[in-house]
Amino acid sequence: MLTYFVIVPLLTAVFLYVFSSAKIVRIIAIIAQAILASFATQLFFLCKKGDIITTIGNYESVLGITLRADTLSSVFVVLVTFAFFIAALYSLNEQQNKLFWLLLFIWEGLLIGIFLTRDLFNVFVLMEVAMVVVSILIMFNRDNRSMYDGMFFLMVNIVVMQFYLFGVGYVYKLTGVLDMEAAALVLSEIDKSSLILPFALIMTAVGLKCALVPLYSWLPKAHGTAGAPSAISALLSGVHIKSGVYLFMRIIPIFQNIDASWFFLWAGILTGIVGFIFAMSQSDIKLVLAYHTISQIGMIVASLSIGDSYSYMGGLYHAINHALFKAALFLSAGVIYEAYGTRNVYEIRGVFKRFPLVGMATAMAILGITGAPLFNGSISKYFIMSGTNRITSFALTFINLGTIVSFIKYSTMLYGKSDFAGEAVKISINKQLSIFILGLLCFVGGILGEEFIEFLFNVQVSVDAAGYLQKVAYFVASVVVGYFIYKYFVLKSSLLKRIKEIDLGFRAICVSIGAFFAFLLIAAKFSVG
Amino acid sequence: MLGNIIELTAITVFFISFYGLITSRGVIKSIISIGIMEVSIVVFFLSFGYEKGIKPPIGQEIVNAADPLPQALVITAIIIGVALTAVNLTMLISLKREFNATEWDILKDRTHPEFNKNI
Repeated sequence: MLTYFVIVPLLTAVFLYVFSSAKIVRIIAIIAQAILASFATQLFFLCKKGDIITTIGNYESVLGITLRADTLSSVFVVLVTFAFFIAALYSLNEQQNKLFWLLLFIWEGLLIGIFLTRDLFNVFVLMEVAMVVVSILIMFNRDNRSMYDGMFFLMVNIVVMQFYLFGVGYVYKLTGVLDMEAAALVLSEIDKSSLILPFALIMTAVGLKCALVPLYSWLPKAHGTAGAPSAISALLSGVHIKSGVYLFMRIIPIFQNIDASWFFLWAGILTGIVGFIFAMSQSDIKLVLAYHTISQIGMIVASLSIGDSYSYMGGLYHAINHALFKAALFLSAGVIYEAYGTRNVYEIRGVFKRFPLVGMATAMAILGITGAPLFNGSISKYFIMSGTNRITSFALTFINLGTIVSFIKYSTMLYGKSDFAGEAVKISINKQLSIFILGLLCFVGGILGEEFIEFLFNVQVSVDAAGYLQKVAYFVASVVVGYFIYKYFVLKSSLLKRIKEIDLGFRAICVSIGAFFAFLLIAAKFSVG
Repeated sequence: MLGNIIELTAITVFFISFYGLITSRGVIKSIISIGIMEVSIVVFFLSFGYEKGIKPPIGQEIVNAADPLPQALVITAIIIGVALTAVNLTMLISLKREFNATEWDILKDRTHPEFNKNI
C-alpha cells in the first residue's frame, strides 16, 4: 500500500506533462495535491493503530526493500503533502510552465519515499534523484546567480552522498543487511571499534544535510538564491531540510553503541549561533530567512541530542513548527518582492498598510519563530528548554535572543511609511490565502500546543503554568535587550559588514567536509574509548 | 587477504580523489574527482564479496557463489553516477556559454557581482 504514496505522485507528474494542456495543468495539479494530502491524512490515522509495513517484491521483511510508516514518518508525510498543497496553491497563476509541475510532483514523490523507506541504500537513491530535481528547480528561472547556486548545491551534495554510500557499504559488510532495524540489531552486538569509520562516514553526510556548523554554506545559496521561485524556496526550507533531520533521527539509533550525542549537541548549538550572526549581517530578506533556517535546524539537532524525552518531543514539534512559519515567511517574502521590486530589508516599509492579510501572516510567523507567548514556537521552545542543564539552557536562550534581534530588523519592514512610487501591484487572492493559512496555523499550534503534540505523536505532555510564565518573562526581557542590540549594534557595526562578505567556495566547503569528518572520527573514537 | 588489499586500495583512492576535490580550481577537475570517488566505492563494494575459489552469481544452481546483492547495488550506483555526471556537465556547459569560464572562483565572481562592490 505504501508504494502508492511514492508511485502515484511520479505517475501524476508524467501524466500531467504528457496529456494535459498548459491551461488545465494547474487545475489538475491542485486537485491532485488535495487528494494526496487527504490520503496522507488517512495514512496518519491508520498508523495510530499500528505500523504499516510494505515490502517491495514480497520478499521477507529483512531481505527486501521495506517501506514502513509509523507515527513519526506518517506525520512527516502529512507535513510534506500539506506543504506541497500550499505551494501549489501559491503558484497557481504564477507558473504556467508544465515542466515546473512535472518537477514539483516528482520531488514530492521522492520526499515521501525518503520519509517512508527503511532501507539504507534506498535512501541514497532517493536523495540523489531528489538533489537533481531540486537543483533544476533552483535554476528554474535561469537567473545568473541561481545557475551557479544550483550547480554548487548539486556538486556539494554529490560529494557528501559518496561518503554516505561508503558508510552504507561498511554497514553492509559488517551486518549483511541494509534494513535499518535489522542493522541496528546486528550492530549492537559487534565490536565497537569497527563501527567508528562507518559512523563517521554516514554522519558526515547527515551533518551536511542538516547544515551543521562547518557545512552550512551551501544552504543560503540553495534556499536563499534570488532567482528561485518563492514556492521552491519555501518548500526547500520548510520540508526538504527536514529530510536531513529525519535521517538524523533514524541513523543515530542504528549506531546506538557510539554515544556521540555531546558532539551533536554542541555542533547544533554552534550552528544556531553562527546562523543568527550571519542572519543579522544580511540585508536581502531571502538570505536572512535562509540563514535563520540554519540557526533553527541547529537548535533542533541540539534538542534531539540532549537526551531528554521532553526535549526530544520539543525538537520534533519545533521541526514541524519551523516548516509552518518558515514556509509562511518565504512565501510572503516572494509577495513582498513582487510588490516592491526590491529584496533589501532597509528599503521595504509599510507592508501592513498595503497588504493587511500578508502583513498579518508575516507578523504571526515572526512571533512564531521568535517564540512569543501563545504562538507555536513558544510551546516547542518551552519543551526543548525543559531538558536542559544550566549551560545548554543559557546557550539556547542566547540563540533565541539572536533570533529576536534579527527579526526585529526583519519586522521593521511591516510598518513605517512607504516611499514606494511605482505602479500598484495586485497580489492574487490565492497567494494571500496560502500565506494566511500558514500564519494562522502558527497561532493555532501555539494555543493548542499540548493537544497537537498528543494528537500527532501519541505522547502526553503538559505545560507547567509557572514555568511557562517564567519563559514569557524571559521573552519580554529578550525583546527589550534585543531592541537595544539592534539599535546600537546591528545598525552601526562594521564587523557585521565584514561577516557579510564571508562566503565559502567549493574547495573551502570540501575542506570543511574533511574537517567535519575528522572531528567525527575523533569524537566517535573518544566515546568508544 | 586479497579482500583486505582491495579494501585498502578503495579507501586510498577515495581519499586521493577527495584531495583532488580540495585542490582543483576547475569545475571539470572537480567532476572528474567525483567520478574517481564513485569508482573507488564500486571497488570497495566488490571487495567484500571476495573469498578464495568463489564463483560469480550468474546462472542457476551454482554452489559457492558470491553474494549478489553488492553487485546489484553497485550497478544502481554506477547508473546514478553516470546520470549525475551528465547533469553536472550540462550545467557547466550552460554556465560556460554564459560567463566564458570554467573555474569555481571566476564563475562565482561573475555570477555574484554584488560581492565585488566593496573591493
